[in-house]
Amino acid sequence: MEAFIQPGFWIFVLAMAGIYGVFSLGLQIQYGVAGVMNFGHVGMMAITGYAIAILVIRFQWSFWWAAFVGVALAALGGALLGLSTLRLSGDYFAIASIAFAEITRYWILNSDGITGGAQGTLAIPNPRGFGGYTDEPEVILTWIVDRLTPYLGDNASRDLAVLLVVWPFFFLFLWISARLQKTSWARVLRATREDDDVPRSLGKNVFRFRLQALIIGSVFGGIAGAFWAVQFMLLAPEDFLRIVTFYGWMILILAGATRVKGLAIAAIFFGFLYGATRFVEFWPISLLSAPERSYLRIFLIGVVLIALMVKRPQGLFGKRQEMVLE
Amino acid sequence: MAILEVRDISVSFGGIKPVRGVTFSVEAGSFTSIIGPNGAGKTSLFNLISGVNKIDAGEISFKGQTIHKLHAHEIASRGLVRTFQGAKVIKRLTVAENLMMAVQGNPGDSLWRFFTPRSRSKFEKHARELAMERLDRVGMTKYADDFAGILSGGQRKLLDLSRALMTNPSMILLDEPFAGVNPTLVEKLLEVLASMRKQHEITFLLIEHDLETVMNISERVIVMAEGKIIADGLPNSIYENEQVVDAYLGSRKRGA
Ligand SMILES: Nc1ncnc2c1ncn2[C@@H]1O[C@H](COP(=O)(O)OP(=O)(O)O)[C@@H](O)[C@H]1O
Ligand SMILES: [Mg+2]
Repeated sequence: MEAFIQPGFWIFVLAMAGIYGVFSLGLQIQYGVAGVMNFGHVGMMAITGYAIAILVIRFQWSFWWAAFVGVALAALGGALLGLSTLRLSGDYFAIASIAFAEITRYWILNSDGITGGAQGTLAIPNPRGFGGYTDEPEVILTWIVDRLTPYLGDNASRDLAVLLVVWPFFFLFLWISARLQKTSWARVLRATREDDDVPRSLGKNVFRFRLQALIIGSVFGGIAGAFWAVQFMLLAPEDFLRIVTFYGWMILILAGATRVKGLAIAAIFFGFLYGATRFVEFWPISLLSAPERSYLRIFLIGVVLIALMVKRPQGLFGKRQEMVLE
Repeated sequence: MAILEVRDISVSFGGIKPVRGVTFSVEAGSFTSIIGPNGAGKTSLFNLISGVNKIDAGEISFKGQTIHKLHAHEIASRGLVRTFQGAKVIKRLTVAENLMMAVQGNPGDSLWRFFTPRSRSKFEKHARELAMERLDRVGMTKYADDFAGILSGGQRKLLDLSRALMTNPSMILLDEPFAGVNPTLVEKLLEVLASMRKQHEITFLLIEHDLETVMNISERVIVMAEGKIIADGLPNSIYENEQVVDAYLGSRKRGA
């Protein structure tokens, strides 16, 4: 119970909420705007994270170039996924997208010589002998920590520095995407959520619009992957399980899929829900083992989501008409 | 001059052959109606012309260029636009947004123009004005900012028609725009069509299953049955065509 009242833990939760927020912003553009159900979003995060680790550790690239290329690769991943499967109907695309993420993860798991395999990025063959990939961002994080230590003492942690870097970016991305969603580009996509024939009959290349939305969403997934890579300083294949995609979806559902502004609050809400359920240790739940409790936690989050869906199908911030009309 | 030429086109879905060797051409600026009983293949024909479905055989050309290999959106961009049977509106866009989506050449449709917000917002303003103008003509300005989902069936027809006209088409295919619409509204729709014809050089091809409704407005009537054209001529001549009387009008006349 002690950790529950420690600010350090909640700072970590908030930093993660920011990263997950950027992650689910990608889903918001794909699903909330374009109606594309991507259940393989975690794949983009894995691609960028691992691209950074490999390029920096094995090829001694600068972190910044590696991050740039890593995000570009996530975009490319989105493009390939879309070009090969986006012409399928929505349900089939959803399944194909899961396969995409799983294939990515299996490839990472089984390519020891490149990715470090099951041991994670620590095992990436390193010409310099030893070292991580975060040296360059670490300079910035340390600088922030040093500035804050006089005021906050021990609370001026690395997590806090990550938080202070991630959240402004998150807000910037929210702002950009709110503007994007006011364009006629987004209007066409909102139309395609309901019907393809109408926009087509008005001369809109529906496939192009959807593909673009998928790629933009993938870019945000990739950026979240870069933040994630910095936050944890090492990566392993099990960081990128399907469940991560669904955490992103949970935030999106909490926010209301069509409301970009709710995403920040939903991300915090999700973070606290996720963090707080870790401390549900009283009897009779305390009778369960730790792994059982972690399942219970996902179960509890699910219950909250279902209750929310029943009460407010439009999410915490959505417009009801947009969800339940007819 | 023929704007649309359809040569011996057919399509089959599984065992069903909704269109079987249809040939006709449409003069630019004319008003032609296609009539025929339910299941005659009228909507299927429109789906083929507009590129929603691909033909199995034959050829379709528009303004002298073959179009049957193009995607639906490419055909629409060339000025051949259609409406759908039962009026499709985007329920979760506002009435004005439904119309604004139809204005062609919107720079905001291109992602790259995200970085030139001024040209985008200028065009949006222009599109909004056009939409309001169009709504004014059908007496629906007060619904501009409501979701289209709240509209009645008749209002949806008006919106659907207005939206197709907003694309500034050279030719428009209307699939039963009058079905299930009350007589007053039919008058209004006919009025809109007539005024569009006067002001713009639009070619109309209209599906209707009732001959009387389109008698006055049509210059020519094509009768379809079982995937084929069984008669083609002036509206009056259709009444005298024996095959038509047998296949279609006859049953009604006997019933009456
Ligand atoms: N995409 C399709 N797949 C299978 N059958 C179809 C398809 N489109 C039309 N049909 C069939 O073609 C026939 C003609 O239908 P339709 O063109 O809608 O007739 P109409 O519009 O004249 O009432 C019907 O039997 C219909 O079921
Ligand atoms: Mg029909």
